Amino acid sequence: MEATITKDNFVRLSDHIWEVPATFRQDMRVPARLYADEDLLNAALTDSSVVQLINTATLPGVTKYAIAMPDIHQGYGFPIGGVIATRLPHGVISPGGVGYDINCGVRILASQLTVEEIKPFLEELATALYANCPSGVGASGSLRLKKSELVEVLHEGARWMLAKGYARSEDLERTEEFGRIPGADAAYVSDRAHERGRDQLGTLGAGNHFIEVDKIVEVYDQSTAARLHIYSGNVAVQIHCGSRGLGHQICEDYVSRFQKNVHEYGITLPDRELVCAPFDSSEGQEYFHAMACAANFAFANRQLLTHLIRRSFEQVLGGKLRDFHLHQVYDIAHNMAKVEEHDLDGHRARLCVHRKGSTRAFGPGSPVLPNDLRNVGQPVLIPGSMGTASYILTGTTGAMQQTFGSTCHGAGRTMSRVKAKKAVRGGELRQQLKSRGILIYAGSMPGLAEEAPIAYKDVSRVVEVVHNAGIAKKIARLEPIAVIKG
Amino acid sequence: MLKALKVFTLMMNFEEIEHTADKAFRARGRTLAELLENAARAMASLDKVAAAGKSFVTRDVELEGADRETLLVNWLNEILYLEQTHREVYDRFRISQINDNHLRARLYGRPSANRVSHIKAATFHDLGIKQTPEGFEATVVLDV
Repeated sequence: MEATITKDNFVRLSDHIWEVPATFRQDMRVPARLYADEDLLNAALTDSSVVQLINTATLPGVTKYAIAMPDIHQGYGFPIGGVIATRLPHGVISPGGVGYDINCGVRILASQLTVEEIKPFLEELATALYANCPSGVGASGSLRLKKSELVEVLHEGARWMLAKGYARSEDLERTEEFGRIPGADAAYVSDRAHERGRDQLGTLGAGNHFIEVDKIVEVYDQSTAARLHIYSGNVAVQIHCGSRGLGHQICEDYVSRFQKNVHEYGITLPDRELVCAPFDSSEGQEYFHAMACAANFAFANRQLLTHLIRRSFEQVLGGKLRDFHLHQVYDIAHNMAKVEEHDLDGHRARLCVHRKGSTRAFGPGSPVLPNDLRNVGQPVLIPGSMGTASYILTGTTGAMQQTFGSTCHGAGRTMSRVKAKKAVRGGELRQQLKSRGILIYAGSMPGLAEEAPIAYKDVSRVVEVVHNAGIAKKIARLEPIAVIKG
Repeated sequence: MLKALKVFTLMMNFEEIEHTADKAFRARGRTLAELLENAARAMASLDKVAAAGKSFVTRDVELEGADRETLLVNWLNEILYLEQTHREVYDRFRISQINDNHLRARLYGRPSANRVSHIKAATFHDLGIKQTPEGFEATVVLDV
């Protein structure tokens, strides 16, 4: 099934769009498109990520083309940085196309404090953040919910946090889906997933998850940035995490269960991790209800972390600095399957858009955006690798036309964890970053080495590609001053 | 001498292989039971969660899977589930009964010392249990 792929197999459609025609492999239903400059394309060809992209072009119901963003890298099943849309009602939904960390995403909070104001308190603040926001895969948080309360969280998402005093209504306005994805039904979430989620709200997790205190170093669009409370020289806080053990268990449950069912639908797959079911089948619907629960759990998790971060700011800065409040810029998901309407061949079509390591980037005018952002477009939050830059962008009309309203999600890895650990020692990396004015608090030094900046692509190049291809617009650039890692 | 032998045996039974974003290993075994036991050891060696105290724990496991590969993935995910929900870390694995769809096993370990674990789940990505002249071999990608 697997064919070797080289640059010669791509047709260059524009400066930043490369396409593998559907004739490349017999089982492809649509072409595969990659957004990249020439170097990023070459980087993508060094591992199996392009083969993984082509594999997604074989899924039943896939429409237009399978898409990869410039931060594409090898994942499991789908590549990281991939987008596919399947036509409903019969197109498939794939749990592996969402991944184990359902609704892994990013939230940015903006302060009105300048870097100079916060610097004398930075070490104390980072220590408070590390102490108040538990990290590690199995870490438990301060809330241990009764089963009935967890069910409410799964159905209500971040809105549950509003009722409990852990959110402000403005936070929900500035969250994708307003913090609650429709379709959640906890009846389709296993007891095991409930058990794993009960004490994990308000926890960060491990791997590439982090909380970062950033300085806003450059603003490209002053008026849009001001609408988002973003001003050059000010401090912002970034959260990257997802649905924790609850989401992992839901994905596991359905990937394992679908292994039995996939043959009943006559679906042949090039990789078992792509296992899927028609969206309108009972299996497809049950997964969708359960996935929505995990998505809501993740929105609630980032909301509770927001509360813990605000409390840390208050603990450390209260009585010392005046305006230490944190305004939510936005909260985005980058591992999710969503039912959306898009223009397809001149008609509106209902699609299941899988974004795995890709961010929704709806352009100006989208009715799903809050009123005050409707003429701006959806904020898009792109975290870079540790110690480098992160970006705030907005969604565009171009993204609506080209990529089902999607863009990149980060820098994208380019070096394996094994190589990164051989190339860098965690302790030395922490010292290097400290000498550049970046404080690092991490639970594991080998884990820190695996996330070293040399293991990632240059996020600025990735962002340039999506900006120049017109599938997102640059608004501001951030650089870290303190990083808290799982 | 004993230590060196142990390392040699471990190297024969499994090895970490490179993966850009996640973690992966190749495990081997003369029998299906040995393959799954070695896969569990491989996963434990990649996770490096430290044990605490002198108390020992055992957990009995009984699992089903649609085929060998599903059984292997379910086995690894069961271990992760038990480790994360009971806050334990296992280092010995004994499979007492196994066929292509079912296994019974006992896990031996201790309470975990720290909260740092990196593995979210074992995946089916490119997974196939191969028959080799020596027995069985499988490559597993772990989501981290």
